[in-house]
Amino acid sequence: MDTDALAPVTSGRPVGVAIVDDHPVVIDGVRAWLATEPRLTVLATGDDPDEVLRAAPQADVILLDLRLHGRLVLDKLAELSSAGRRVVVYSEHSDPATMLATLDAGAVAFLAKHEGREHCVATVLDAASDRPYVAPALAGAMVGDPRPDRPVLSDKEREALLLWFQSMSKASVARRMRISEHTVKQYVDRARIKYTRAGRPAATKAALLARAIEDGLVRPEEIGIYRSRASTDQPTP
Amino acid sequence: MSAERLSTDPGASETGFRPRAGNPTYAEATARTAFLPQRPPPGPVPKPMVGSASDEVGAVQAAAAVARTSDRGARIVAVTIALVWHLAIGLPAVLAAGPALAVPQVVLGGWLLVAALGVIAGIRLLRDTPLPAAPLAGLLLVVDVAVFATVGRSHLFSPANWVWGTLAWFFLVVLWGRPVSRLLVLLAAHAATALTAVVLHGATGAADLARATMALYGTSSLPVAVFAGAAVLATLSRQRAATAAATNATVAEREAAERARHERGERLALVSRAATEVLTELARGQADPADPQVQRRCVRAAARLRRLIAESDDVPHPLLHELRAAADLAERNGLPIDLVTIGTPPPLPVRVRRSLADPLTAGLADAHDWARLTVVSDPDEVVVSLVTPDREGPDTTGHATEDGDGQVEHLYERDGKIRWTQTRWHR
Repeated sequence: MDTDALAPVTSGRPVGVAIVDDHPVVIDGVRAWLATEPRLTVLATGDDPDEVLRAAPQADVILLDLRLHGRLVLDKLAELSSAGRRVVVYSEHSDPATMLATLDAGAVAFLAKHEGREHCVATVLDAASDRPYVAPALAGAMVGDPRPDRPVLSDKEREALLLWFQSMSKASVARRMRISEHTVKQYVDRARIKYTRAGRPAATKAALLARAIEDGLVRPEEIGIYRSRASTDQPTP
Repeated sequence: MSAERLSTDPGASETGFRPRAGNPTYAEATARTAFLPQRPPPGPVPKPMVGSASDEVGAVQAAAAVARTSDRGARIVAVTIALVWHLAIGLPAVLAAGPALAVPQVVLGGWLLVAALGVIAGIRLLRDTPLPAAPLAGLLLVVDVAVFATVGRSHLFSPANWVWGTLAWFFLVVLWGRPVSRLLVLLAAHAATALTAVVLHGATGAADLARATMALYGTSSLPVAVFAGAAVLATLSRQRAATAAATNATVAEREAAERARHERGERLALVSRAATEVLTELARGQADPADPQVQRRCVRAAARLRRLIAESDDVPHPLLHELRAAADLAERNGLPIDLVTIGTPPPLPVRVRRSLADPLTAGLADAHDWARLTVVSDPDEVVVSLVTPDREGPDTTGHATEDGDGQVEHLYERDGKIRWTQTRWHR
């Protein structure tokens, strides 16, 4: 595992981002979105994750297009995640099954391509600090997760996800649920944290969990109940 | 046009037309058939092939009622034979023999006991509330033994030994409706008792044994025949009733489908009239295509036609089909629309579906710039939501309302940035 990659991003230097996509026009677009945020700097771009990382081994966050040269690169995603790389997947494949599969493979976040303009910067910033960011499309996938071993969400968490998915406005969700926007985000993030136990183990998942405990989002003793039936043999992070 | 008007039945606001109460619409019929149990495997008793579980139970109960009714005649015959024989042949013989019996009190007491038991059991049988068979059969066998033991050698084969002739018929009365094998077991016990008594009384001559065998055979064969015959007739009538119930259910289903088709035809006529009116006005130049009111009338008429199509064609989820149709229409009018569905909706009654879809199709018809239409479903809940950018102007849908049953919540809010319409159905 590459320990440098998971080193905490200090407030002093900007977050280094690597963009992997096989469409130059998309890379330009993403670069333009990120350019609006001074705390972010794009270190390298390209259509091959290995080459991009050779060019910028110190990248804090990798923005990865899930489909490269006509192939879904879930295996590459899992490899990067278990090596401790914070990968934000963005893809036009926003069907719930694919989104949940990227979480299982260790992606820190998933962005549907149409959500990029609004959510890309926030997602990358949160990813750099090992905090979850749930864009509406992913919230929908989590609400509708049909798998028998899906994490058990509380009623409030499910409701917050559902309303966030439908309205795309945390202010509206907060009004509807009669809670603060901050609490809405907490419910959504807690739901996301519950997914860190699904699928294969990855260093990035451990980092998300650790940060969630640090932030008081979950208590260490709560982690146990999130364990899915499919992953009982996995080591506790 | 207010949202409240839009959220009623297509055509209802103009003409007050509504599907008649008790007449299932096509969608209700399809929703119902979606819940149908699988056709049962072929078995001895054909089950009704259509209808809900309760319908099926009802059909089976109806078949059982038919079987009971047709069985009633045989039961009356059995009870009558037992009691008449007991009274007309048994009693005079016992009374005539009188003191010649070894212990006349036991023979007469046994007669009285069986007579009382026969009357009570007979009445209960005819009222479809038979007494428990096992204790009664046991009692009859005890009486059997007691009478054989106390009738005396001289009256062993005389009519005063009434158990020879009558007891088998009482077995019939207490065991009615139960398997023939139990009757045969009782009759075997009766025969064993009789033959043991014959032997113990020393009547072991060939003639006596022959008389005993003939008496047993003669008094048992007829009850067995009646019992078995009645059982076969009851089974046959039950099967026939079940077949008739299944046929009736099929006929009812076909009628419901035809009625649904007819109702759709009526609604099509209503909707077509609305569409024809606006088209005619446009063609004659009486209506201005640039007039937003006219445009909305067109959109509504088209949406209604599409909704009708969504009801009539064989789609698994009419709700999604309906929303898709509305989204297609809005898209064709130049509105970029995002339609995301999560999960699969359960079959919904058409009224619930309308309550879910109508406020959103109304909102869509009035949306500008963009719209996000989402449907989240699981087996117990369907949440439909429309988000559009807020702008100056009146609300596009009514304020939070509920439908008559309170099954569908309708929430609407605007905050200057978005207008959010949400309908939510809970099971």
